[in-house]
Amino acid sequence: MSWIRREWTPASADEWTREDWITIVVSPIAYMLLMVGVALSMLLLPAGYLVLAAGVLATVFMHWVIDPKLKVISSEYEKRQREYLEEVERRTRWEENDG
Amino acid sequence: MLETAPPAASAGTGAARTALMAAFGFLDWLWIVLYLFIMIGAGVLFYRLGKRSESDFFLAARGLPWWLPAASVYATHTATDTPMWVSGVIYRHGLAGLWYSFFAGWCAISAFVSTRIFRRSVAYTQAEWNTIRFSGLGAELLRGWMSGWQVFMSMFILGWVGVAMGKVCNYVFDWPVWFGLVFFSSLCAIYVMAAGYWGVIMADFLQGVIAFAVILLVSIWGVVAAGGPAAIVDKLTAMGEASRLNPFAFTGWFTGDFPIAWFATMIFIAVLGGFGMGTSIDWYVEAQRIQSARTVRDASYSIWWGTALVLMRNSIWAVAILGFYVLYPDISSTADYEMAWFRIGFDFLPVGMLGFFFAGIVAIHISTISAVLNLGAMYFTRDLYLHYWKRDATERELVWVGRIATLVLLLGSFFYGLIMEEITSWLIFALWIMAAGIWLPNILQVIWWRFNAWGYLSSWIANLGLSWLVVWVLPSFGVIPELPDYQQFWVLMVLGAMIYLPITLLTKPDDMDHLVRYYVMSRPIGFWGPVRREAERRGLLMTARDAMAEREAL
Repeated sequence: MSWIRREWTPASADEWTREDWITIVVSPIAYMLLMVGVALSMLLLPAGYLVLAAGVLATVFMHWVIDPKLKVISSEYEKRQREYLEEVERRTRWEENDG
Repeated sequence: MLETAPPAASAGTGAARTALMAAFGFLDWLWIVLYLFIMIGAGVLFYRLGKRSESDFFLAARGLPWWLPAASVYATHTATDTPMWVSGVIYRHGLAGLWYSFFAGWCAISAFVSTRIFRRSVAYTQAEWNTIRFSGLGAELLRGWMSGWQVFMSMFILGWVGVAMGKVCNYVFDWPVWFGLVFFSSLCAIYVMAAGYWGVIMADFLQGVIAFAVILLVSIWGVVAAGGPAAIVDKLTAMGEASRLNPFAFTGWFTGDFPIAWFATMIFIAVLGGFGMGTSIDWYVEAQRIQSARTVRDASYSIWWGTALVLMRNSIWAVAILGFYVLYPDISSTADYEMAWFRIGFDFLPVGMLGFFFAGIVAIHISTISAVLNLGAMYFTRDLYLHYWKRDATERELVWVGRIATLVLLLGSFFYGLIMEEITSWLIFALWIMAAGIWLPNILQVIWWRFNAWGYLSSWIANLGLSWLVVWVLPSFGVIPELPDYQQFWVLMVLGAMIYLPITLLTKPDDMDHLVRYYVMSRPIGFWGPVRREAERRGLLMTARDAMAEREAL
């Protein structure tokens, strides 16, 4: 699926892209399918197995789409986190003003 | 927490309680003592880690892999009164009642939107985030208000959940309600004061595993007691209640117990709420889990998987409650059928397993208590003590303030718990109004650069007045009819917007330097065009053209 990007630079991963929006749409659907699928499967209803399988597939697909991007965001952000932590600490202790 | 519900007013007869006490054998007591020993042991074990710094005491030094906060998200979403609430809605509505528990669905989008944005802000609390996102006096007023409100809410939730435990103990052992409230919360406070969030998170992991095992075991036991899954389906069909097997058994567009309009409103609130921060009161607890995760990716997965487990747990419960309904279809008292899941465990499990079941209930209980104790103490220590009282406090001092705040919250929760019966209806109203009128502002503060502290603050104030008018005052004078809750939501949202939007646009935007710093740090989603362009102009971000060139090179 070439319309799903799998390789990211730090700058491009920081942008909100199609992959985020696909995840935003699929994620609640996966939740609904898993919730309904587990209940109906426990009652041994055939429809439940189908719904649960669809929920698992939606979950796998969602992770496949978003995981490469999240990995790049995380590793890039970790490099800057210490600086941000110090800034927030200074602000909380009133040691720094804006501007 | 939105997953919590008012404790049942009464539970079981005296005769039933006496029989239950007699059924506890040596093995049952052994399970309970062993479990409590392990929990308090966790506090002792992680004492050295917890006392190292403020960051350790409240966020486990921001170093946790995703599955630890995920277990904590699951454990804290499972309070003593949660099975009562799930039992109640499933007994009344069948599987359609599952949608009442879908409020947790806000995490579906939040895991990949507001969780990412909040984690990148590195704020300890939502109150601190207010001063990172907004600037000036308005931001400080918000921080003060938010932290005070959260300290109060923590105390209230502790009392609410604690009194539910008191009632369960009263049902099982015939102990006075106050004893169950005080005893288990106090034991829990030992490891929270000793090890802070390290103790909370490690105990939550154990509690999550135990609670899930117990929920699964007891629910399967209940299904078997009802004759098995196929028998439940057959019996419901024979009773003319097959619609209870349908999660989409609507009663019309706007009529009946389960109208499509209610369902649509619920999905709208729950799912789109994930774009914002604070659209569910569970957000404040989860925000701590988000910051304790070691990376943005870990934070996202902890929220997503913890909540997925919550929703699947609700399904497991739901099937057991259907089994209970098949066995006892004619219970009319809410207080009685809300105890359905507890009755399955205590009525059907054999001696020797009852203690395991009760240990599971204790696990469910103290995972919530420990989380809320540490959360309330964090707001007090970080936002009130450090920010407004003693800005040069040492790390050691902050840890001690955290411990003292934990103790004060515990004592306050006893007070709230014991007067809960009198104030519950008022506070449910308070919770509702907090959710309805500020739902949209909670999203706007994340997605719209122009929304400022004055707009957000005015939305809280406006909502307080409007909700009294819409929910109580105007209907009682016959000016408007008494509206169902989902209609109240829409009315409050529109009326509130008519106040806070003009206030936002008539007051100055936040300082651009402040906004640019926030934007570069957090990279929020939505309408941030002017701030983005300013960041690019200052050379802090790559322009769209540069990004395209980089992509082509890649």
